[in-house]
Amino acid sequence: MRLWLRWSWRDLRSRWVQVAAIAFIIALGSGIYSGLSSTSEWRQVSYDASFARLHMYDLHADLAEGAFLDATALVDAARSIPHADAIEAVEPRLVTSTQVDASTNGETILVPGRIVGVDVTDGGPHVNGVSAAKGRPLEASDAGTDVGLLDRHFADYYDLPDTGRIEVSGGTTLDYVGQGLSPEYFLITGERNSLLAEANYAVVFVPLETAQRIAGRPGAANDLVVTLAPGADRSAVRAELEAVFAARFPDVGVELNGPRGDFAYRYLYDDIEGDQRFYNIFAVLILAGAAFAAFNLTGRIVEAQRREIGIGMALGVPARRLAVRPLLVALEVALLGVVFGVGVGLVVAALMGSVLEGFFPLPVWRFPFQLGVFARGAALGLFLPFLATLYPVWRAVRVTPVTAIRTGFLATQSSGLAPALGRIPIPGRTTAQLPFRNVLRAPRRTLMTVLGIAAAITVLVGLVGIIDSFLATIDEADAESSTSSPDRVNVSLDSFYPTDSDEVRAIADAPVTGAAEATLELPSTMRANGTEVETLLEVRDLDSPLWAPTISDRTEATGPGVVITETAADDLAVEPGDRITLRHPRREGATSYRFVDSRVTVIGLNPFPIRNVAFMGLADAGLTNLEGLTNLVVVDPAPGTSVDEVKQALFGQPGVASVQPISAFVDTIRDALEDALAILVVVEGAVLLLALLIAFNSASINADERAREHATMFAFGLRLRTVLRMATTEGAVIGVLGTGVGLGAGWLLLSWLVRSLIPETLPDIGIVTFLAPSTVLTAVGLGVIAVALAPLLTSRKLRRMDIPSTLRVME
Amino acid sequence: MGLIELSGVTRRYEIGGGTVTALQDVNLTVGAGEFAVVLGPSGSGKTTLLNMIGALDTASEGEITIDGERLSGASRADLFRFRRQKVSFVFQTFNLFPGLTAVENVQFGVDATGKRDGHRIAAEVLARVGLGDRLHHFPSQLSGGEQQRVAIARALATDNPILLADEPTGELDFTTGIQILELLHEQAHAGITVLIVTHNREISRVADRVIELSSGRIVTDGPPTGGQVPIAELHW
Repeated sequence: MRLWLRWSWRDLRSRWVQVAAIAFIIALGSGIYSGLSSTSEWRQVSYDASFARLHMYDLHADLAEGAFLDATALVDAARSIPHADAIEAVEPRLVTSTQVDASTNGETILVPGRIVGVDVTDGGPHVNGVSAAKGRPLEASDAGTDVGLLDRHFADYYDLPDTGRIEVSGGTTLDYVGQGLSPEYFLITGERNSLLAEANYAVVFVPLETAQRIAGRPGAANDLVVTLAPGADRSAVRAELEAVFAARFPDVGVELNGPRGDFAYRYLYDDIEGDQRFYNIFAVLILAGAAFAAFNLTGRIVEAQRREIGIGMALGVPARRLAVRPLLVALEVALLGVVFGVGVGLVVAALMGSVLEGFFPLPVWRFPFQLGVFARGAALGLFLPFLATLYPVWRAVRVTPVTAIRTGFLATQSSGLAPALGRIPIPGRTTAQLPFRNVLRAPRRTLMTVLGIAAAITVLVGLVGIIDSFLATIDEADAESSTSSPDRVNVSLDSFYPTDSDEVRAIADAPVTGAAEATLELPSTMRANGTEVETLLEVRDLDSPLWAPTISDRTEATGPGVVITETAADDLAVEPGDRITLRHPRREGATSYRFVDSRVTVIGLNPFPIRNVAFMGLADAGLTNLEGLTNLVVVDPAPGTSVDEVKQALFGQPGVASVQPISAFVDTIRDALEDALAILVVVEGAVLLLALLIAFNSASINADERAREHATMFAFGLRLRTVLRMATTEGAVIGVLGTGVGLGAGWLLLSWLVRSLIPETLPDIGIVTFLAPSTVLTAVGLGVIAVALAPLLTSRKLRRMDIPSTLRVME
Repeated sequence: MGLIELSGVTRRYEIGGGTVTALQDVNLTVGAGEFAVVLGPSGSGKTTLLNMIGALDTASEGEITIDGERLSGASRADLFRFRRQKVSFVFQTFNLFPGLTAVENVQFGVDATGKRDGHRIAAEVLARVGLGDRLHHFPSQLSGGEQQRVAIARALATDNPILLADEPTGELDFTTGIQILELLHEQAHAGITVLIVTHNREISRVADRVIELSSGRIVTDGPPTGGQVPIAELHW
């Protein structure tokens, strides 16, 4: 056995450049798998630890929009349930929309946001705590004072100092004493539950009393969070809470949810599984590329050993023993790759760790070494390439000794497709024909090289295609929201106001306002065919000259109707004319609301790619009992007035909660995507490297294999540049084939990811499948140009070739 | 003045830290249309001599002049041009391009010189060597003798004045070997200088001239011992 080991080790050394390249390809595959998969484990343990440290609620009671209750009454109600002993802690909160002015000397920062009033008595809040990432936490002595904590995501985005001063709606100035993190805001989603909205959404944590004073609602709360004692029956407590709220506050709609009712919580955990599936797909594809490369190399090594195998056969060595040597080579290459892979994995993991920390700031991040994950990565890296070598080895040892031992012209027999492909007429001089002939004369080898390159291109197209698809989706959203009045701003009000109220008139009559339209924006839920879609229902003039949604397949309805997005229609499996159930707020008293179910007809489809937007005509506003009221005024700036001027003029107006340009939503997604690219860039870099390695390896193997042919060409006086031109042409042909296959397979992968995988993690977005021309060009550049130019790397070797010796090499 | 002239040519190689002298002070003149055989045992320097004449290798010392062109000190580009215009090769292991058919392999020889109409010329030359019916066969579909004929045709198609053949019958059986020798002999009659390197003394009997090497030196140079015989009389 030692002999075989030593022998196989010499085989490795004689082709060390190719061996190193393949080992590195395997390392990339197994390392990327290990590195990326580690992040899944890290995220799981870090999320668990972070939510636990800040006591994420077990139950959350959310009052209907615009409804407020006495905080003490709310807590008393919760404490009065039969299983009150199951409640570990219960705290009221006052959560209100606001506009935050965090402008610095050099930058105007005016964004909508939220004031979260929390109970700071006795070191609170004890439920959904606020961790001070910078500065100091809120203290009991802060109650009622104008101090708060600024959400860290927002502060980080604008690089704000650890402490400072901001202004919120109503002209209140707050000193923020630190930057905080709280479980519901581990991921900033804004009012529309759009991801990573920190650039356009500021959360300010203040003592409950301070929030009450700013909102002008002393003693009020609109939110209650509860943690339960270990072992408590959450369903039972929830049912009892629902019952007691319904009994004590019959005019107020109260929604009760567990942690999974929180978008950020749900998204963070669900995203782990979705991301892991992405990682698995990309790692397996990279490993597939490695397997093809290993197959090629082993095939070449076995070919080179053919006579030696034949001699072994002639000496009576069993085939299985003869197979040991090439298999050992394969195993050693794979082992080398796996060892490199641990290094690559650690580097990828370290990069991903820092990306994650920046991407999802949490109070606790843990990065333990994932032995199990690395063991799985190593097993994959060992198994796949090794498996790929079995076929050429089996092929080599099953021939008869006399066939294996043949030399010279007798050894150059070809079979299979090769003779047929060789008949394909190719015009031009032989120097022009040769590259194509070489591609055709070894179809299996060509196929393996093509598949290796295709695997890299597939990964690249799949990966970058996702980014392209996101960008195209955003562009679609942008196009739909700016069909007219692209500079308009949404002025959110802090409650419902009559359309002829002073507050609304002040907005409409402001000098910065060119045109204004009063609308309603209501959180709602659509249900049909067993599917439920949360939506923001805009009640507005569907034919407004200011802006109106594009409506296709418009139909008339006898009763109330809604326009839903095409994405929502797909998910609900409905089409125009179908009826759906709309759960929406309905005004019950002067200031009380509750959620009710109404049957409405889908009267048309809107192309906006986000599913949780729906429109209803003003004529149907009676359904909500909110006719003549508004909580959102759409303003088109007066001629010559900028959006910033509108924001500054309307900020601080009575009743105004926020002023947000219509482009903010799209910009938020764009910003989020740019951040998300940081993660993808790590993998993209590895994929580019992989494609280059495969290209180089293929060129290097080809150069070795064609050495005698090149020597013959040199003997006939062909110049080096002519020989290189032939090699690059051959590389280009293989590159074109590989790129073509890769682009096709990449498109299929992308389509599958967009249709099947992304909807599982981002159900609200109807991503369009799109591949940007720049991505196609990158793929072509990499797959064709890099593969074609790779032979130039062998020019030194060719230049230094010992022509006489090479010519006399016996095959 | 001969077509091939070597004056005081020495070739030394650095191998494993030592110096090996493959050729030592060789002086040689070969005229146009000569059919010469370079004879010698393994390691005598005969292939090195052939490589020097073919500009595949350069001399450590001495002067090599081919058809009036000095190879000593010539640039790499000049050596490549020289090979395209002056010499052509036939190898022991044929060195055909497996991806090209017989006619395409021969056409390669024409293309290498930069001449046009390569396919027609190739077909004609193949017909001359008796392979007019095997034009579109790939090397793997030809016998050893046929492959060597294609290799000779490829060399002839260049229309270069010197044909260098390194053990051209080494891979072939006797009958096929004889046919190949006849083919090469005919080329000398047609005015091409043919230089064959072999260790087979029998082959040297048909040559106009036998240059025998031993340990890198020319030990004899002249007509075959016992006189030139017709190819038909050869046996080995």
